[in-house]
Amino acid sequence: MAKDVKPTRKNLMEIEDRIELSERGHGTLEKKRDGLIMEFMDILDKAQDVRGDLADDYDEAQKKINMARAMEGDVAVRGAAAALQEHPEITTESKNIMGVVVPQIESSRVSKSLDERGYGIMGTSARIDEAAEAYEDLLESIILAAEVETAMKKMLREIETTKRRVNALEFKLLPELKDSQEYIEQKLEEQEREETFRLKKIKEKKEAEEAEEAAREAAEEAEATDEEDEDLDEVQPDTAAQSPTGN
Amino acid sequence: MSQEIAVVGSPEFTTGFRLAGVRRFENVPDEEKDAELDDAVTDVLEDEGVGIVVMHDDDLDYLSRGVRQNVETSVEPVVVTIGSGTGGGGLRDQIKRAIGIDLMEEDEDS
Repeated sequence: MAKDVKPTRKNLMEIEDRIELSERGHGTLEKKRDGLIMEFMDILDKAQDVRGDLADDYDEAQKKINMARAMEGDVAVRGAAAALQEHPEITTESKNIMGVVVPQIESSRVSKSLDERGYGIMGTSARIDEAAEAYEDLLESIILAAEVETAMKKMLREIETTKRRVNALEFKLLPELKDSQEYIEQKLEEQEREETFRLKKIKEKKEAEEAEEAAREAAEEAEATDEEDEDLDEVQPDTAAQSPTGN
Repeated sequence: MSQEIAVVGSPEFTTGFRLAGVRRFENVPDEEKDAELDDAVTDVLEDEGVGIVVMHDDDLDYLSRGVRQNVETSVEPVVVTIGSGTGGGGLRDQIKRAIGIDLMEEDEDS
């Protein structure tokens, strides 16, 4: 709080420096937040497209596997699924968007040819192949969606953090620093006024003392002159009394 | 480091993915989802060899609050939900919180 700071010129200078730094930081963070939001908008558009494709691919894959189940039976489909030998793998590389590290997912062995799948061609039908192919396409879409959604989640976290920092600077730190600055400035002005008033009082007191001294001296002087005059008056009647008898 | 794709859900849901070669899967029958889905999802999320987890949208309702929050915010591995909804229910809330506007709603309407 503003009341906790000592009202000194040194503190005032320190607070002014902090205000300058905070305002600079606030501006930079605001720019970062706006930049992140713009980048996020681009990713969001992409995510909507990817989501649409994903939903379509899932519907398609569902249809195909339901057809395979209906034609071949659930046991045959499960049997084929259990026989798969090639497994899809993903590797993740990273890309930097305004300081946010987002993944770029590379996939391998997702789409496979018929002979790579591992289940026997003779024991299964084309329905199962079609279902497998549809699910491979669905996996490709899922990998793309995962990449985009991870990027979105990471960017959202960063946007939230940056927004919180901007708000903390704007609504907490800067107002407090400005309060402190105002408090110290008022206190220093008050001290200055008190000092001027005190000097004025001292000067008045000194002048009054000097005037009193001068008056006292003048009074003493006047008193001394009066005494001399009285002495003279006392001497003069004697001489006057003596002079007629002497004549 | 190469990672795998994992699928969690009912046997009907996971079979298709197994046809596409996914070997990391957790089968949880519908009647056991209330009791066992939380553990299955937690196991998969804690597996460092898994990079992407695939789940059905409707299965999120069976998860407890904490696990569901992990699923919605997890980045490594990332959870992709497919099925009835538009997906990204958690994302939508996160967008509302971070940006201040419901951007997903706007996109859905348009």
